Amino acid sequence: MAKKLKEVDVVLVGLGWTGGILAKELSAAGLKVVALERGTMRTTENDYSVPHVRDELRFVHRHDLMQNTARDTLTVRNNVQQEALPMRRLGSFLPGEVVGGSGVHWSGHTWRWTDEEFKIRSLYEERYGKKFIPEDMTIQDWGITYAELEPYYDKFEYTAAVSGKAGNIKGQIQPGGNPFEAPRAREYALPPLTPILASQVFSEAAKNNGYHPFPRPSANASRAYTNPDGSHFGACQYCGYCQRFGCEANAKGSPHMTVIPIAMKNPNFELRTSTWVTKVLKDPSGKRVTGVLYTNTLNGEEFEQPAGMVALTAYAINNVHLMLLSGIGQPYDPVSQQGVVGKNYCYQTGASATLFFEGRHFNPFMNAGGSNATIDDFNSTNVQFDRAKAGFIGGYNVGSGFNTALPIGYRPVPRGTPAWGKAWKSATAKWYQTAMNINASGAVMSNRYNYYDLDPTYRNAFGLPLMRMTFDYKANEHRMGEHAAKVINDLAKSMNPTSLNTAIARTEPWTVVPYQSTHNTGGTIMGTNPKNSVLNKYLQSWDCHNLFVIGANVFAHNNSYNPTGPVGALAYWTADAIKNRYMKNPGPLVSA
Amino acid sequence: MTRTALILIAVTGALTVGSAHADVKRGEKLFEECRACHAVERGINGVGPDLHGVFGRKAAALDEFRYSPALKKSGITWTRQTLDAYVADPQKAVPANRMPYGGMPEAKDRADLLEYLQQAFK
Repeated sequence: MAKKLKEVDVVLVGLGWTGGILAKELSAAGLKVVALERGTMRTTENDYSVPHVRDELRFVHRHDLMQNTARDTLTVRNNVQQEALPMRRLGSFLPGEVVGGSGVHWSGHTWRWTDEEFKIRSLYEERYGKKFIPEDMTIQDWGITYAELEPYYDKFEYTAAVSGKAGNIKGQIQPGGNPFEAPRAREYALPPLTPILASQVFSEAAKNNGYHPFPRPSANASRAYTNPDGSHFGACQYCGYCQRFGCEANAKGSPHMTVIPIAMKNPNFELRTSTWVTKVLKDPSGKRVTGVLYTNTLNGEEFEQPAGMVALTAYAINNVHLMLLSGIGQPYDPVSQQGVVGKNYCYQTGASATLFFEGRHFNPFMNAGGSNATIDDFNSTNVQFDRAKAGFIGGYNVGSGFNTALPIGYRPVPRGTPAWGKAWKSATAKWYQTAMNINASGAVMSNRYNYYDLDPTYRNAFGLPLMRMTFDYKANEHRMGEHAAKVINDLAKSMNPTSLNTAIARTEPWTVVPYQSTHNTGGTIMGTNPKNSVLNKYLQSWDCHNLFVIGANVFAHNNSYNPTGPVGALAYWTADAIKNRYMKNPGPLVSA
Repeated sequence: MTRTALILIAVTGALTVGSAHADVKRGEKLFEECRACHAVERGINGVGPDLHGVFGRKAAALDEFRYSPALKKSGITWTRQTLDAYVADPQKAVPANRMPYGGMPEAKDRADLLEYLQQAFK
């Protein structure tokens, strides 16, 4: 029998970027806020300083900051005909499970997603006609606009110390920035990171090919910085241990050194670590949530935490799982296409080439999470890029520059080199210093057969059904991959490397190994009405008005960009909607 | 010119600029580079140890902070001169120390920074 606790105003499920932002904003607004976090407390001084950090075995192979699959995981399959099996080890994606969440081990790439995503169906129908969108491609407008979100992107970028070069300030194209980006009100918080040799060589070749390279915007402080909340950042040291690690210099914008410590100083806020929420509770009418049920994972004790409002602020996948477990909203069925919870799960695709330059030293061990150069010439924001000719919807970005090229794991060798033994050893010694990559990251459009539901067979450590992921790449992604591989290979050949591992478009089905991207999106999407979405534009549940769900799970499809920019912006946007509108007049913020 | 000579010039530079000419306000601004890890208030240890009363203190002196073996063995006593050399190039002054900071190359910057620190503890 669960012990019933005293009611609070707000329960946050998960304490990473989104939970941290809500914790800080709502506790400052006078609400009594409790955050329940599965993971344990981690700080830069105790956990991410030398010698604890820069441990490839601990953080990369033993997944020190990530979800433990022995306790909860997903089952995975490519299509509805297959039987899904549990993912018993992390692979393709790495959800974080500590205070700070995935915001601790991210690289910091912070992009602004634009109306090209938010109005995708309207814009494609207008430009290319209704028939251009395949019947099984379930893309839809998100119900929000770039103009609405712009001040919140700005707020997140200045909070997280994003370094970059604006390409478009209030409609004026800025030299050196991304000419395809949407207009921003002002420059980035900090100037771009120092380019490394690989990104310089790439930029030069891209320019020679008529493309528009720019430094990748990233929450790696290019110099010491104090953000508007008074959080102090050190300057990035280009240590080479960014992705999958906490930052020892407090230079990577992370919730554990910005919004969370500010919330922790507020007496209105309380954090309970090692707590696992198993259910969001509803009242008999089903129109309001009344709190959550959770287990203290240290001793198994179960609690009911009543609350006036619940916000799901966990990793995208876990937010969707909790909605399905709690029976809020109608689960999606791909056959009848009825229901909404679990709909439009998306991922990302890509292609990659390795270039070997005999005698040229790239120092791959020295880089920031975002010391890359990028081109957006084939991305969604370049509307001049003719999709009718290319044969796909969406786009991809192409970039170069090392991000965490680790001394053990990063071993570039030309194709055909034996995988072990003397020949491999001599090749890896020769090419470690002298190779660079060109990578494309591509969008994945939503499809009626890519979705989440509850697994009928497998259960987690709490006896609850695992979430089942049904996903595979479709024709749109295959065509995009071919296009990207050709662009990369032409670019690479123009650079005249000694040897080239060409980019090859993927044709094989998606699998959970190896690591690909932690950019899982969709499942509880935002939208214009309760028939096509789970949440309204304020990320408020259409079913229960005192439930908000925040994360990449609200994206109606996926772009080629990293998701944290809009995730952070939407968290601030939702916090404002709660503070300025919902608290004054609790109820639906959009009438259904 | 040898590196030692460079450091000597840097140190002498800091001394000749001296307290009278050092810009405390500028030093406070430059301290932003340190503030993510170090507090000037006593008893607030972050990623780095607090710097309260650092002048005249032996390196690795605070019981409650976990210093690197390199700093413990350094035998340094912190003065304007030793701090100047350390801030200029931490890994050169104390090889294998754990401070994740690349250094402050300009002598004038260091003079202002150290003047600010000295004033802050008065």
